Formats: sequence, structure tokens, C-alpha cells
Amino acid sequence: CAQLLICVKLTPLLLLYNRIKASSLKLRFCTNETQATREKFVKKLQGLGFDISVDEVTAPAPAACRVLKERNLRPHLLVHNDVVPEFAEIDKANPNCVVIGDAADNFSYANLNEAFRILIGLENPVLISLGRGRYYKETDGLKLDVGAYMKALEYACDIQAEVVGKPAKMFFESALAELGVQPQQAIMIGDDIVNDVGGAQQCGMRALQVRTGKYRSFPVGGTDLPSVYTSICCLNKHLLVQQLGSNQVVDDIFICKKHFGKTLCM
Amino acid sequence: MAQQICLWRMAARRALKAVLVDLSGTLHVEDSAVPGAQEALKRLRGAPVTVRFVTNTTKECKRDLLERLTKLGFDIAENEIFTSLTAARNLLEQKQVRPLLLVDDKALPDFTGIATHDPNAVVVGLAPEHFNYEMMNKAFRLILDGAPLIAIHKARYFKKKNGLALGPGPFVTGLEYATGTEATVVGKPEKTFFLEALRGTDCAPEEAVMIGDDCRDDVGGAQNAGMRGILVRTGKYRPADEDKINPAPYLTCENFPEAVEHILEHLLGERE
Repeated sequence: CAQLLICVKLTPLLLLYNRIKASSLKLRFCTNETQATREKFVKKLQGLGFDISVDEVTAPAPAACRVLKERNLRPHLLVHNDVVPEFAEIDKANPNCVVIGDAADNFSYANLNEAFRILIGLENPVLISLGRGRYYKETDGLKLDVGAYMKALEYACDIQAEVVGKPAKMFFESALAELGVQPQQAIMIGDDIVNDVGGAQQCGMRALQVRTGKYRSFPVGGTDLPSVYTSICCLNKHLLVQQLGSNQVVDDIFICKKHFGKTLCM
Repeated sequence: MAQQICLWRMAARRALKAVLVDLSGTLHVEDSAVPGAQEALKRLRGAPVTVRFVTNTTKECKRDLLERLTKLGFDIAENEIFTSLTAARNLLEQKQVRPLLLVDDKALPDFTGIATHDPNAVVVGLAPEHFNYEMMNKAFRLILDGAPLIAIHKARYFKKKNGLALGPGPFVTGLEYATGTEATVVGKPEKTFFLEALRGTDCAPEEAVMIGDDCRDDVGGAQNAGMRGILVRTGKYRPADEDKINPAPYLTCENFPEAVEHILEHLLGERE
């Protein structure tokens, strides 16, 4: 039977979520959230009514920590203050790499310059980026995401960053490994056409795009989008039942559609 | 010292009518004039050519540049100076847009007269004080909604007394990525910079020569626009720079005075 991966960075699909939890489908949260620790993030969702725990979350910061430990990298962090605790166990003295996350107001010229100077001074500069999103939606409008600043440092130093987090293949693969399922048995749901849908599809999963959050009715241009993004799985009810192997869940997806007044895009 | 003269010089047989001269590194290095440069300029002015002084700058308005050069003993008029700020201004006027100016305060005088209320364009220069998250988001939203992004230039970084510092290039690149658009870059080595500099001189690129110390930005850029380029071995020049562009510089010589000598002897066409 099918397993399910849900991205809930933005809009909670509470009804659907509860039904899925009650079903035989396995659930995992794949988020690029780097403005908070997993604990804080989970608390926020619990406050919204989700019955969720930290071990159900695959997030970039812990994934990055694994990479840093494996490669003996000591990072200079350019991240949001609230995610710093995720790096508590990592040696940060005498940095030999830079880790950049969604730092928001920490993206000051001074901080960027500091990160730049460290990179430009290294013989083998390593820049690890927690995600590569272009922008995200907050209550007070759209804001630049880590990807923009990752590109800024790449350009300044003439290097290529390594992305930890969506849409990197390894990130989805590690989430699937935690669940013990094959990509073909999983579906990713998210609002971000590149990071959620594109990334998942490149792993062999199917994906649904929800028209909430960051979704824009016209594609953001740029040469980054490969042609695979044009084939989003068909959300014909019948087909979905086949794919998910569960009538119950499919009904719920369509109930959510009515309840939230939004369309689950096909 | 051997002079390297590019083969295609033989082909372009038009008399010289305009000389573009780079400032920093060519006429002067920081606060000192290149020795003999003031004299050389006087001699150049004796020839029937139009002279223009061109530079990439994002924080010195023409008035300030003029003041510095005059103090160093150069005889220059304000309207002979063409900077990347001028190029940006011209573009704004052409497009008839109102810019959000992410430029140094000292550069603002060069934008006097351009409306900036309710902006529908973004201009990015070297302005660390504006490269904070809030201002970058403001620029980002405008561009996402269709405002053109104009970059004074895209330098990656520059040298300060206490080390290297990020130039405007990285921030422009970040905005381009986030919005899926491409900036219009107005400074050297863009072709349009050189063509704009010649506008009003009544000279075609083939009738002009550029003298500068930056092989790629000065000489390469000028030659790409159809001009001849003379590389001088002062300022930021490093040995073998001339091998880094293709075609090679029309001429590589020691300094501005030597470049002027070459022009006076070889490029002024038939004498009556």
C-alpha cells in the first residue's frame, strides 16, 4: 500500500492529516524550515492541532550536521538565531566551511561579508546551503529565501554550493529511508513547484502541488526549471485511489478541497 | 620595450576622432597622478580628437571626480566625464521609469531630476548600507512585479584597507535568481557603456580608442564594442594580462603618456 510524505511548511491540511494518521499510511514531514529547531517547529504545528513529533520530521539542519561530522567540517554559521541550537554539538572553532540557512534579518551586509571573507580565504572553500528556495510567503508579504543569498556567495567566490534539504535527492532519499519505503510507493505534497514537486519527482516519487502559500498561477521564469516539472501526476479521483490504494484518503483530499476552498492542483 | 600591435589594426583604416580614458589606474593611482600624465593630456588635447573620461563608479558623482582630478593638475570639464552612474541615469530616462535607488548617498547628485516616488524600477550600485534584508526584500518585490533591474556593474568584490568586501555583483545575482530575471548591466565592460560614452561625440566606435589598465573591463569591453583598446601597465595591471583577452589588445604599453605618444604618431590619419 502507498506511503505518504507531506510537506507542511505552510498550510495545514488538518482533516487530511488526521485521517492519514488514522490510516495505514506512513507519514513524514519534509521541511526546509531553518528558522527554528525541529522542537520549536513541531510545537508550532502541535499548537495548530497536529499530532506530530520530532522524529517524524526530516529537516536540513540535522542533515547538515551529519554531513559536517562525516567530512570533519567546522562551520561558520550564517543562519537564523533560532536554528543555532541544532548545531550545538558541532565544533565551530577555526571554521573551514560556511553553512548558510534562511537567516532572515541576519542577512546583513556585515554578516554576508564575514561569510564571504571566510570562504575566499580558504584553499578549498565549501559552502553548504540549507535548501535553495527563491522566496517564501510570510503574513507581511514575500521574502527572499536562502537560495538568493546562496547564489550571491557562489557568485562572489566563484564556487558552487552543496545543497542540503529540498530539492536535493539525498534529502528525500533519507526521508524515505527513515520510513523504509521505495520512492514509487510515496507521494509528496507541497506548494513549491521546484523544491517540493520537482525534487520529489526527480527521486521517482509522485507529487501533488497545492495552490497555497508560495504557489503562483504563472511560473517564475529562469533557467533552473527542468522539463520534468511539466508532468505533475493526474489527480483524477479514480487514479488517485489506484495510486494511494485507499478510498478513504482520496475522499479526504477532496473534502479538504471543499473545506479550504482551494484546489489541489493537478 | 616591444609594442604588440594587433594584426587587425591594419584592416580598420579610419582616422581617430575620439579617445576614451579610464581614470583610476590610468590617469591616477589613488591620490597620485601617473607621472607625466597631466602633460600627456595637454598634448592629446592639441590633436583633433574628442576626449572622454570614463569610469565604473557607484559612489562618486561627477562633481567629486572632477574635484579630485582638478586637484591632481588635470585639465578636465565635467561634461567630459562619463560614468556608470551616468549610464544608469540615461537608461532610466530612456525607459521613463522611477527607480528605487540602492546607491551610495554620495552618488545621488547624479540622479537629480529623476522622480523616485512610487518606484517601478530598481537600480543597484555598491551600497552596503542598503544591502540589508528589509531593503533587499523591497527591491525583490518590485522586480517580481515587473520592475526592471539595472545594475551599475557586477563587480564581485573590491579591496578595502582591511581586506576584501562584497561588491554589488553578488546582490544583483541573488535578486536575479529569486525573481527569475536578468539585470541590465550598464557599466564596463558592457558594450552599451562604451556606445553611450560616445553618444554626443559624433564618433563611431571604429573611430575611437580606449586607454585603460583593466584588460578585461577597459580594453576587452571597448574592443568588443568595435573600438581599439590600449592597455597600460599601471594601476591594476598584472604581467601577462594582455594574454587574457581575445583578440589581444590593439596595443600594450607602459603608461598613459606612452599611449598618447602612440596615438599622436600613428592614429591621427593623413596630415594635410
